Amino acid sequence: MKRIVKMVLAANLLAIALLAFVYPQQMVGPGKLVAGHQKLEADCFACHAPFIGASSARCVTCHKPADVGRLTTAGQPIAKPLTAVPFHQKLISQDCVACHSDHAGVKRFRQQGRFDHALLQEEAAGQCQECHKSPADSLHQQISGNCGQCHNRQKWVPATFEHNRYFALDRNHDTRCVTCHVRNDYKRYSCYGCHEHSPASIRREHIEEGISRFDNCVECHRGADKHDIRGGRGEGTGRRENERSRKKHDD
Amino acid sequence: MTTSLWRRHVLPFTLLAGLLAAATLAGDYLLHRLALVWVGRYLGIPGTLLIIGSLIYSLRKRKYIAAGSPKSLLALHEFAAWLGSLMVLIHAGIHFNAILPWLATVAMGVNVISGMVGKLLLDRSRLHVQGQRERFQLRGLSKSEVEQAVFWDAVTFDAMTQWRKVHIPIFIVFAALALGHIISILLFWGWA
Repeated sequence: MKRIVKMVLAANLLAIALLAFVYPQQMVGPGKLVAGHQKLEADCFACHAPFIGASSARCVTCHKPADVGRLTTAGQPIAKPLTAVPFHQKLISQDCVACHSDHAGVKRFRQQGRFDHALLQEEAAGQCQECHKSPADSLHQQISGNCGQCHNRQKWVPATFEHNRYFALDRNHDTRCVTCHVRNDYKRYSCYGCHEHSPASIRREHIEEGISRFDNCVECHRGADKHDIRGGRGEGTGRRENERSRKKHDD
Repeated sequence: MTTSLWRRHVLPFTLLAGLLAAATLAGDYLLHRLALVWVGRYLGIPGTLLIIGSLIYSLRKRKYIAAGSPKSLLALHEFAAWLGSLMVLIHAGIHFNAILPWLATVAMGVNVISGMVGKLLLDRSRLHVQGQRERFQLRGLSKSEVEQAVFWDAVTFDAMTQWRKVHIPIFIVFAALALGHIISILLFWGWA
């Protein structure tokens, strides 16, 4: 290689190296910084520790954990907080970069708006309504709390609970949840919440049929058709077994 | 330039370069389609290792090492550099951010083209011009007539030889820029 070529190459590479130090954000930064951090564009080490990366210890020098979601870094109340209730104080650890990425290029590789609820302290994790509004549909409007009975924290939608597996909400049972689940307690149910069934009438009907165990209705009845006997001791689900059960029930 | 030189040498080169471009676009599309964009983020590592591995041929050619058949190492150099470049191109295409890594990518692209010229055009065109010259001589053409007949082939061959001379300087530029990108990643990446 000619000497002049070597010199030109060296000069160009040196110029690029200098530009990287003067304009680090443009030369090596993975995309624009979030609006609040744009003043730090030329000071990578305000957030990054060399060969370690962005460190939570550096975040908390400006963002006091007790104030996050409440006050700005200047100590002023936040005018429009992103969440209704501050929750950073209820996290199990101070790992800012587990959720936050300030460069646009890094954000692209993260699912935005996703929060790992495993980072919440156990007590806070069960209080969904502290941060989340209850859905406006008629089902959820009847419910308060106990979200975890139907939803899980890994995947909120779809709900894991399939009511028809236990009891089909057909015909006369298309009613308000609290009719059967008194005080929104979905661990229990009662068939005596409506005028159709009463302990006395149910007892009478079953004793007449020679059935002595009738305390757990859904063990045998999985829907409005009282002749559709599915469960019980045999757990028969086939048509013939259903008919046999119905006959036995009717007899 | 004769039709033969175009069809037998320039066209394969164009196809090989086109295949690299098509494979890059296909890889990028598939990663986006399959929601595997994060894979592209890390493809730069195996790509770089393949390119570094391909340099064994250069060491052998310059007699820094004695082991290995030069012919096999050349084949390895061509394949590993092509595949490594493909991975780096997909890696680069996944995210379009800072200037330094893009300069490195452009330098790599020019380097790959330069390498392909070496592979597909230089050797074959040399053989082709030589063959043409011998054929014309066998037909009884005088030396000046032969030179006139192979003039455009010879001009092409000379141009290719000149082009190949930029292969090493461009590689040095590519290596320096890539090194800068790698150092910046090591420096700022969240290892903790």
